[in-house]
Amino acid sequence: MRPTRIVADVATLPRTVFGHRSLMWWGTLGFIVIEGSTLFICVASYFYLRRNFSTWPPEHVFRPALVVPTLQAALMLLSNIPMRWADRASTRMDIRGVRLAFLICSVLAVIMTVLRWFEFQSLNVRWDSNAYGSVAWATLTAHGTLLLLETAETIAFTVLLFKGPIEDRDLAGASDNALYWYFMSGVWIPLYVVVFLSPYFM
Amino acid sequence: MSAPSRTDAGRPADDDAVRRQLDETWRQAPGIWGWLSSVDHKSIGKRYIVTAMVFFILGGLEAGVMRAQLARPENSVLGPDAYNQFFTMHGMTMMFLFAVPVVTAVGLYLVPLMIGARNVAFPRLNAYGYWVYLAGGLFLYISFFLNTGPDTGWFSYVPLAGPEFSPGKRVDVYAQSITFTEIAALVAAVELIVTIFKNRAPGMTLNRMPLFVWAMLVQAFMVLFAMPWVATATQLLAMDRLVATHFFNPAEGGDALLWQHLFWFFGHPEVYIILTPALGFVSMIVATFTRGPVFGYPAMVLSLLSIGFLSFGLWVHHMFATGLPQLGQSFFTAASMMITVPSGIQIFCWIATIWSGRPRFSVPFLFVLGFVVLFVIGGVTGVMFASVSFDQQVHDTYFVVAHFHYVLIGGSVFPLLGAFYYWFPKITGRMLDERLGRWNFWLVFVGVNLTFFPMHQLGLDGMPRRVYTYLAGTGWGRLNLLATAGAVLVVLGVLLFVINVARSLRRGVRAGDDPWAADTLEWATTSPPPPYNFTYIPVVESGSPLWERSEELAAVSGLRTDVRDVLVTTLLDARPDSLHRHPPPSIWPLLAAVATTILFVTLIFTPWGAVIGTPLLLLTLLGWGWPHGRDHREQRMVEQTG
Repeated sequence: MRPTRIVADVATLPRTVFGHRSLMWWGTLGFIVIEGSTLFICVASYFYLRRNFSTWPPEHVFRPALVVPTLQAALMLLSNIPMRWADRASTRMDIRGVRLAFLICSVLAVIMTVLRWFEFQSLNVRWDSNAYGSVAWATLTAHGTLLLLETAETIAFTVLLFKGPIEDRDLAGASDNALYWYFMSGVWIPLYVVVFLSPYFM
Repeated sequence: MSAPSRTDAGRPADDDAVRRQLDETWRQAPGIWGWLSSVDHKSIGKRYIVTAMVFFILGGLEAGVMRAQLARPENSVLGPDAYNQFFTMHGMTMMFLFAVPVVTAVGLYLVPLMIGARNVAFPRLNAYGYWVYLAGGLFLYISFFLNTGPDTGWFSYVPLAGPEFSPGKRVDVYAQSITFTEIAALVAAVELIVTIFKNRAPGMTLNRMPLFVWAMLVQAFMVLFAMPWVATATQLLAMDRLVATHFFNPAEGGDALLWQHLFWFFGHPEVYIILTPALGFVSMIVATFTRGPVFGYPAMVLSLLSIGFLSFGLWVHHMFATGLPQLGQSFFTAASMMITVPSGIQIFCWIATIWSGRPRFSVPFLFVLGFVVLFVIGGVTGVMFASVSFDQQVHDTYFVVAHFHYVLIGGSVFPLLGAFYYWFPKITGRMLDERLGRWNFWLVFVGVNLTFFPMHQLGLDGMPRRVYTYLAGTGWGRLNLLATAGAVLVVLGVLLFVINVARSLRRGVRAGDDPWAADTLEWATTSPPPPYNFTYIPVVESGSPLWERSEELAAVSGLRTDVRDVLVTTLLDARPDSLHRHPPPSIWPLLAAVATTILFVTLIFTPWGAVIGTPLLLLTLLGWGWPHGRDHREQRMVEQTG
């Protein structure tokens, strides 16, 4: 090994950092790109298959029901308020705030997962009826796996936060969890428009 | 202990004590448990490389059997059904189990060493990626030995691959084993991007990064944007087959061409995903063996980036025979021609470097020269395909087979073999034998040309791809026999390589730290490197750190040696920014990979596989992420209990 000449000491650098200074933030961003691509492919396939039909939805298929999906979309948007709160509380190292916000988000995540089941019913078409049904179900399922993962992670984090012991960097982890939440909930809005609203005007 | 104590001269008091403690902290636990739970990028990189090479040999043997079948007209080595499985297995093995994994593996091994890091950014994810890849490969080969090997070609076009024309489970094996390998490739991509962005040695600004690291960075981004396409496409195909969706079924509004778009949007970048790291190998080898930095560093980096971008604009040239609108065809013709520009710039830069340097014609350099010759031939025929009228004449003929083997063997296997000869001393501490290496090179070089050059003529004569035999009256017998003779030479060449590796591992000349007098950081540490890579994290002051200072290397101290401390630096300038503690070895990545395997394999048989596999996977991910045995010494505790 080459002999070395020490030119600096880094012992005093911080050990808990947030946002783009943290490794996990970049890792989360990587997975957001991958999963975002998957959802984009579902949407691209949706419009590609649209060209094979004269009407959309195809003949003899009802348009999707809108009550549950609209409620879900609203909930997805609103859920960003407690998650943003958790995010800010974590950078302030405000453990009580993070705990409460995560508890609220866990409850919301469970509700949204249950609502996803009813959203499938709202499509008014089966996956095996025609290509329209297939691609609508696939889009909901693809996003559903993200929702399920985020629900599991948020609940696990909540348990950890209440059970302890908690280190500084767990709060940085909570902040990275928030980043994924923003993506998961935010990306649902255009998907909701495509899957549930576009059959009304395409 | 925290930072090592230092004398006034700035030199650590006792390097040996520091090394002993680092070794204690970073080494892999002994025994099989230690092996299974290892998170060391070198340990995982090595097993990744060995596994990929085993698959390379299996894929090569499949090719050998096919060449034996085609050596003469109406031969009977393989029947049509077995032949279908053989060519599909050969293509899948070489593309999904060898070409991408092996360059990824070399990257996972080398990148942390080249950028002066202790490990990759997410060591457990790295282990998970390897296990998932291994599971995918085993799954494919077990299915093959059970006569359920995929038989519809590596791109498995529908409707042939759909439920109507391919009943049984063969295509499901195809779809699912791709999912395994794509997951492995994607996690490795995230791994490499974050490692390169955030774990570079202080001072290694983006414009001082070795060209191989640039190549891996570009490749990782290409993987990130390309692989989701094939992973999604194969899931849609699996659903068409398992739960009767209609994505590719025209009777219910589905579309067979949708499959081709989704597949080739991945499939064309795939070629460059394989090629780009090879370009990195070539740049490193050229620099070392001409004893000077590569000519035109900014042009080289910009060429890599533009290859990355342009490779996403070419996919439709695989679909010229599908009756696309003419405007679309013209666009893709232009894009296909355009990508030759950055490829050409790289070739000219290498030639300029060699021209102005003092080349040493050692084995790695021979492979680089072989690469230039083969890749240029493959590139020229590639430009010919950009012309729609020519493409339609030779579509699905042996001309295509000749072209892509020149590109893939020339563009990927030759640089890879050169890279083996170049970095083998670093990985094992011993040199490969030079004389055997020369025989290895010439046998493979002559063999490849003898095998694939005649295929151009066979294609022009009209011999289609993927036929298990042909009639004597076609007149294709002589050239096919010549191709088979060439394949024998290639097999002998690869055999020599294996013998060389086996012999050198035991009896090779000891390499020392830097046997080639190279310029990048991996040569600053011992061969093989210790578990912690560097005693002190080096500080980089130029693009060729080992050529700048012959003796002492600047470094930083202050990382703890009793926990797995790593240094995180800023993205552009690589200024020290924070310290991060890496997790200890863990069995959870292996368990998560087992759960992933259960999920994917059961899904082939029943949709209930999701109900069984998903909770298992979530459980293992929970075990993985849950903090075990906390070390409270370096972290401020927010609160002890809840």
